[in-house]
Amino acid sequence: MKKENKGQIRIIEAFLAVLIIFSSLVISANLTLTQSRPNNQLKRIGLRTLMKLDSDGSLGKYIDEGNWTALRDALNLALPAGTSFNLTVYDEEMRQVNTVVISNGGFGGREVSYVEYVCASQGSVFHCYVIHLYLAVVS
Amino acid sequence: MKKLKKNLGGKSSGQLLIVAALSIAVLISSTTIYVYEVSRETNSIKNNSISDFVLAVKQSTRNAMISSLVNASNGGERTVLTDNLNSFSQALRSLYQFGTCQLNFTVLNDVGYDSGMRFSWNDSGLGISSAYADFTLKIYGVTSNTVVNYAVNVTTTLTVNGFYTIVENEEKLVNLTCKIYNEGEPALAKNMTVFYENLGSWVPVNSSNNLSITDYHNGTYNISFTVNTSSSSVQVSVHAYDSRSVLVQTNTTCNEA
Repeated sequence: MKKENKGQIRIIEAFLAVLIIFSSLVISANLTLTQSRPNNQLKRIGLRTLMKLDSDGSLGKYIDEGNWTALRDALNLALPAGTSFNLTVYDEEMRQVNTVVISNGGFGGREVSYVEYVCASQGSVFHCYVIHLYLAVVS
Repeated sequence: MKKLKKNLGGKSSGQLLIVAALSIAVLISSTTIYVYEVSRETNSIKNNSISDFVLAVKQSTRNAMISSLVNASNGGERTVLTDNLNSFSQALRSLYQFGTCQLNFTVLNDVGYDSGMRFSWNDSGLGISSAYADFTLKIYGVTSNTVVNYAVNVTTTLTVNGFYTIVENEEKLVNLTCKIYNEGEPALAKNMTVFYENLGSWVPVNSSNNLSITDYHNGTYNISFTVNTSSSSVQVSVHAYDSRSVLVQTNTTCNEA
């Protein structure tokens, strides 16, 4: 190698080094964001949907009456289109209450978000339920 | 020094140092900004999620209070509030999404409240059914703890006032204006029953009294009916269930308009 070209090669080497470090940063940043954002958004959507259904006591009423079809339909309406869900209701001793599967389809190996919620019924006879809601974006 | 110059390649050595220094500076600042942004976003998401969770707990607490008030106003024990809140607090302990949850409460035992309940059903034309409690929610997370203090007040109020006009002999047309409030805001009634006092006993008003109820859909109801009584004033009692099934009642005296 000629003596006068040595400087240029070192500059190119330095640039390459910087490029490699930057590209690793960019890739890792994208990986972190794509993993955290949709998951947390889906959790918030799930929690807010349950809150909305519970705001007038409907959620507790469906569970008290064992009206699982109405509960599934209400969730289907309240959740954004393309969201798959599976809901399980437990009593205070964590025994499963729902006798049928409350779901609108499988998750198909997609990333699943999980929401916990405590529902207190408004009825004259008090019941407290623990709800586990699993969510995934299907399309 | 001569050796260093030789190694760096003579004329290019100064440029290389500047470029390298700039690159390192850019690298350090961009890394700092990136770390700051990522940590800020993570904290913001976490804080938003916990605020949503706290809101959800507050809403469920309100539902537990409503259930207790419905029960007690319909003849249940006042202690039902403490029992229900204990059950609710126990259920909260089975949640672990944000850490361990602990809900402590104190029911109000002052200014007309007993065991967190108040039933003011008297002859003034103002009826109140109310439940009140203070809460402290503690969430012990992995990285941080959250403590939230809040109070829940569930109150159904009924106001009744009215007068009568003489139709014929002892037949009187009674006109009542009833208003229902939930936590001070106009609310709808699910059901209303009216009684009037005749010879010392309460008689329910029904269709035989030409009962007519006008619903203004804003929490105001006009009720009119006819009664046969020789009394110069008509004692009336109104029992109302709000849309949450909380019972509230009050009596009032109607005089001639």
